Amino acid sequence: MSQSFEKHVLDLLPRLRRFAIGLAGSAADGDDLCQMTIERALARRQQWQEGTRLDSWMYRIMRNIFIDEGRATTRRRETFVDEDAGLSVGGDGGQEATVELSMVDRAMARLPEEQREAVLLVMVEGWSYKEAAAIVGCPVGTLNSRLVRGRDALLAILEDVQ
Amino acid sequence: MSITAEMIAAFADGELEDAERAVVEAALAADPALGRKIAAHRALKDRLTSHYAPIAEATVPTHLAALLDSSREPANASKVVSFAAARQKRGLAPMVRRWAPVAGPALAASLILAIWQPWQARTPEGYAGGDLATALETQLAAAQPADAPTRILISFVREGGGLCRAYRSGETGGIACRDTTGWKIERRFELQGPDKGQFRQAGSEAELLTAAQDMAAGEAFDAEAERAAKAQGWAN
Repeated sequence: MSQSFEKHVLDLLPRLRRFAIGLAGSAADGDDLCQMTIERALARRQQWQEGTRLDSWMYRIMRNIFIDEGRATTRRRETFVDEDAGLSVGGDGGQEATVELSMVDRAMARLPEEQREAVLLVMVEGWSYKEAAAIVGCPVGTLNSRLVRGRDALLAILEDVQ
Repeated sequence: MSITAEMIAAFADGELEDAERAVVEAALAADPALGRKIAAHRALKDRLTSHYAPIAEATVPTHLAALLDSSREPANASKVVSFAAARQKRGLAPMVRRWAPVAGPALAASLILAIWQPWQARTPEGYAGGDLATALETQLAAAQPADAPTRILISFVREGGGLCRAYRSGETGGIACRDTTGWKIERRFELQGPDKGQFRQAGSEAELLTAAQDMAAGEAFDAEAERAAKAQGWAN
């Protein structure tokens, strides 16, 4: 098993990258976060217990790095978020799609980190409330209320625009 | 029961328990606004999902995938040195942590990942040094070459704790146990070569293994336990 640890992580990488870019708000910062996460996971691979889920373990490492070390990045991004026309992190499409997609990014960028991670974990990454709470390390009720505040804010922001 | 914003969102996500779900369902029939809120939550989820989906479908950047390519050297601190160069350093007992994850068998034989520590500048009395220390530290009984100069016979935990390995190098063999200093040689054996019957006084590998068994607290390691012990740096 331990020999294929790298392979398991590699298989998770597309999902981890989606979460990282969603958290960090740009592909460049998200990939940096991904790299830090992979490095920490490799350094701490002994701490992962076989038989437990590798994906939630990796998500937890990533969100901890983001919370601990990502603040400077986040501040920088928030400063420029309104001016940055190239902020879209999602898929491209026609001109219309690009405009629409970047609105989601802008709305997400306005959320406090704890709401953003709750929204991403549940609504994008598909974790249950319980699993998401375990990744964040908070009670389910707390996760639930962050999620609600986050999604209400998103609904309000996106409704305004439309 | 009043319906909270949390309940509405959880209902939309299919996360409500039966009792609360029944409350929301009942209210839903009477309150069209509630239905619109739930629809808005689900629409938001769809929108976010489709917004971020292309990232997970995209090819992972090569520099990230390369970090997980086990055929390459890890990007972090450890230093790859050639085995030959390590042996040229007279008086140094290379502390070999693990085989460098290299692609080809030829490279695997000539490259090691070595980390020197101060105590390795000189092999302390009674401890394994040089090639023997390297073999004890790196070789797995289950995966060593058939013609390895030193062969690991078994690995086990001794009575009272501590990890030990029985080994054989040609006509000598022994049992070494790992402590914080290195591999302390606990027992030495002169062994009978397979085709050298003239050494009547020499013992057999079986005696060595019996001695190991006497020292052991339990069973000898199987391949997996051995690999795990190595991964933990032989700490017990």
